[in-house]
Amino acid sequence: MRHIPEDELHAYLDQGLSRTQCVEIESHLADCPSCQATRDGIAALRDRTTALLARLAPPRTVAPAFESLRGRAAEAATQRRRRVSLAAWAASLVAAVGLGWSASSLVRSAEPARPAVPVATTGPATAPTPPREARVQTAALLAARTPDGPASSNVRADRATPVLRAHEVAPPSSDSARAHRDAALSVLDPTPALELSRLEQPGRQGELELGGMWRTMSWDGAKAEAGERLPHIDGLPVVQVQVQNGEQGSRPVMVVAQQLSSGQVIRTIEGPATDVSQLLSRRSMSDVDSLFLPGDSNQVGTDASHAMAMQLGDRMLAITGNLPSDSLRAMIRRLNAEMRSK
Amino acid sequence: MTDDLEQLYQSTYTAVVRFLYRKVWDAERAEDLAQEVFVRALSHRPEKPRAWVFAVAANLARDEARAAMRRKRHLTLLKGDPIAQPTITPAADDTVEHDEQVASVHEALNTLTPRDREILLLWDAGLSYPEIAGQTGLAVGAVGTTLARARRRLVDAHDRQQTRTGTDAAHS
Repeated sequence: MRHIPEDELHAYLDQGLSRTQCVEIESHLADCPSCQATRDGIAALRDRTTALLARLAPPRTVAPAFESLRGRAAEAATQRRRRVSLAAWAASLVAAVGLGWSASSLVRSAEPARPAVPVATTGPATAPTPPREARVQTAALLAARTPDGPASSNVRADRATPVLRAHEVAPPSSDSARAHRDAALSVLDPTPALELSRLEQPGRQGELELGGMWRTMSWDGAKAEAGERLPHIDGLPVVQVQVQNGEQGSRPVMVVAQQLSSGQVIRTIEGPATDVSQLLSRRSMSDVDSLFLPGDSNQVGTDASHAMAMQLGDRMLAITGNLPSDSLRAMIRRLNAEMRSK
Repeated sequence: MTDDLEQLYQSTYTAVVRFLYRKVWDAERAEDLAQEVFVRALSHRPEKPRAWVFAVAANLARDEARAAMRRKRHLTLLKGDPIAQPTITPAADDTVEHDEQVASVHEALNTLTPRDREILLLWDAGLSYPEIAGQTGLAVGAVGTTLARARRRLVDAHDRQQTRTGTDAAHS
């Protein structure tokens, strides 16, 4: 006769067996004194275990009212909801900032091409008029910048240096920006009605220096003085505004320096045609040397700055910067369209 | 109106506190954790509340033990020497005797494997074999075997200690 294993007797006493198993065990126990003795021993072991474990009890505990737990649960639920809404709020803030960031970087990366985009739309509207009154001059104002340039040019020179180096090795814009620009340029009228001519290579013509005084102004101050005529590309941070008052009664020459996201500084110039063309053709203007650093024939070609000008009657709009000519051309068209619309 | 959870609370709160106390060895902390368990149960409304309550209690105790271990390691690093065990404050004779009894059972319990200890404590907390099996991942048939071994080891370890203490007392 098979005796009952100990673990089964534990399970039996613990009521961990099915009814059928219990019946089997009980019928065996009725006829087996040995298994009865084992069962009694196991029962004593169970009791001892329970008694030992009972010593490991905390001091008398009193359960707090269940209602107080309900209150805590409700409070926890409220806090969870608050946390969720706070997290949602934070997530939306992060998303908004991220969106703004990526949007701004998209705008910036497309900056070289950007001026061309409005041209594509405003072009047809403005195209009929320029042929008669506008003459665009392409200038490769190879403004060689001396490394030991004047201290006053520190900020822009510093910023321009890496750009210039980049320009020597590769186009200043990234491939995607170039692609943008190419795409934008492709929608331009392939036969612009504007007459483009290359400005003569400027040299040192110190004797032709402008005598007027240049004033560096704040953007707001210049805006108050020049109103909407202040030349600038919308959306780019303004680095410097310089104004030269001409003869009494004549309008000032204004130069606005703006920085592209790449660090390059472009300058938009607006003023009487004679003054602006003179300014563009001159290389050593001691009082605006930060604008055009003195040329050095040795560095021509390695340190190039281009200029693009557009004459409108007796006025001239120009843009200079270390950018490919087509970028400058697109920019000045946009600038012209914007100035006209104001 | 009393719901099922409230009835469970009334019937098992003490068992849950005891179960937790045997894991965290701090009566106040055990009560805090037990209340936290039932607060969570009110939010979750589990289908099998009794098993759920003990499962959550075991998890909380485990988290608590891990945190305590981290604190201990941190303090050890800070101090550069092992942390002294909490000293038992001298008290009346009966208290001392009680503390000694607690310490001996505590020590005997520590001789068990973690799994045996867990199953023994769950059974002592009133869980059924299927509930214990569900919580520990053990087959129902193996619960009896484990309990048989755990009980035997606990009693044997305690008896050995008592013998040793008795011998020590006889020598002193």
